[in-house]
Amino acid sequence: MDISRSQQNNKILRGILNNVVWIILILFIVVCTFTVKGFSNPKNYANILDHSVFIGILAIAECFVLITNHMDLSVESIAAFSAIFSAWMCAQSPAASGLMANPFLTLMIVMIIGALIGLINGFFIVKLKINAFLVTLSTYIIFRGLGVLLTGGKGIAGLSYSFRAITLIRLFGIPLMVYLMIILYIVFYFVLEHTPFGRHIFIIGGNETAAYNFGININKLIYQVFILSGVLSAIAGWLIAAKSNGAAASIANGYLFDVIAAVVIGGVSLSGGFGSLIGVFAGVLLLAVISNTLNILAISPFMTQVIRGLFVLFAIVLDSFKKLLK
Amino acid sequence: MSIGYSDNKIEILKLVDIEKNYGSVQALKNINCEIYKNEIVGLVGDNGAGKTTLIKIIAGNISPSAGKLFLNGKEITFRSPMEAKKYGIETVYQDLSLCENLDSAANLFIGREIYKKFLGINILQKREMEKRALQIMSKIGINVPSMKEKVEYLSGGQRQSVALGRFVEWGENLILLDEPTAALGVQETKKVLDLVLKVRKEKLVSMILISHNLQQIFEIVDRIIVLRHGEIAGIKIKNETNPDEIVSLITGADLINKPVVGL
Repeated sequence: MDISRSQQNNKILRGILNNVVWIILILFIVVCTFTVKGFSNPKNYANILDHSVFIGILAIAECFVLITNHMDLSVESIAAFSAIFSAWMCAQSPAASGLMANPFLTLMIVMIIGALIGLINGFFIVKLKINAFLVTLSTYIIFRGLGVLLTGGKGIAGLSYSFRAITLIRLFGIPLMVYLMIILYIVFYFVLEHTPFGRHIFIIGGNETAAYNFGININKLIYQVFILSGVLSAIAGWLIAAKSNGAAASIANGYLFDVIAAVVIGGVSLSGGFGSLIGVFAGVLLLAVISNTLNILAISPFMTQVIRGLFVLFAIVLDSFKKLLK
Repeated sequence: MSIGYSDNKIEILKLVDIEKNYGSVQALKNINCEIYKNEIVGLVGDNGAGKTTLIKIIAGNISPSAGKLFLNGKEITFRSPMEAKKYGIETVYQDLSLCENLDSAANLFIGREIYKKFLGINILQKREMEKRALQIMSKIGINVPSMKEKVEYLSGGQRQSVALGRFVEWGENLILLDEPTAALGVQETKKVLDLVLKVRKEKLVSMILISHNLQQIFEIVDRIIVLRHGEIAGIKIKNETNPDEIVSLITGADLINKPVVGL
């Protein structure tokens, strides 16, 4: 029995919608190339990539979590806390610890901290069966608070060259951290599409009962996904500190909304089971291009906020529309 | 076409005094029965009689509140459906347990994905799974356009065949089928029943089939277990009974093992 004509049309429409982010991205770039002065030159492109790294890495984490039909709101705070903690450990500043610790040792430490926070998130979600939204909202608030506490309200600045190197050293005009982001995307794309772990993530998001019936260890996977999210967020945070030469209490403020906007517009469904890192990458780039353009046009940062919000709304409506087509 | 019931029957599964309570609700009580090798047993009863609960206990999804299970003579306790699978018990669930967001090949191999280790990482062998999936589906005979088609775009009959494909490939000791033809048309139902008989003959497995369709039951089973209000109302050999008798057992004849209240 073949699928009906309307179902076939639906399929085509959904196929387009799933890749609409690339269409919008290319359209946007084309339009900006011709209408925005200063947009289409290598330095600006490098700038765009530069600014996509942090949201980009956080988006990988959020994508994995969303596919399992959960949500991680704490990614921003884990990144912020990691940035602040890294600055506190390594900076040559009276506000810092005075340890002037090795930056890469600090990276290891914040990754462990991120993993532990992910473990805590996982525990409340798996064992206590509390909704992921509520759990990660709490950790979001707590760790932002802890970060502010650590800064004592002041900024911590003054990082060593070796800490900042990954953001300063450029290869073909592009900072090393961009290459790191790309490598992470390639690695995690592979994990999601070509490993049993990735397949099980889609199964849990698609039909958790079926996952249980066929012996998939759902609890273990949820823990792993949240721990992964914590670790990636920590890496992003460390990089943010490297880029900003330190950290203030408000670091990474608002990143959560950009991450959600990027993943949703990149095709990840808010109700689980669907998503691709290729789409997410496009979503991240799109948001970076928009920010960049608004910057060049010297649009007020408040307007930028409104526009970003509109994009989140657009992405959510798109997601709902896709579901309606089923 | 049933097998005669002689004494040299190998017992595959034995349920002794199985009970299941949900708080004050007694879903199952006094369940005592055996399933023999290579037989098809029909499990019938009205809605709420406890058929799915009983199947879920055998499949390992839920544990009994009391009683024992014996598989091939050994007492066993299933803590999860996966443990039941290790003993060769395969289940076709009423809701099919399909992931709409994945394709047929992925659905067939849920929990049993084929992978190879490469540099310490497990890598999915998608092409091999697709190939095996095509083989499995061709055995079933219901045409699925492509193994790469996401299940949400398949018809009811095609989805059913994906769910059936699992037991055709992996059913070993005992296969549990919970209303496998509920959503199917006449032709597709016939194909499923033919498949059930074919697999029974080829693999010498035992099967428990839940169905509301008595005609279907009488067509292929060897014995019939009737549940009523959570208890066994009767166990009959198909050739020694008729649909009317079964209906009266389902609806309200006397229980054969009504406990004698001793005085």
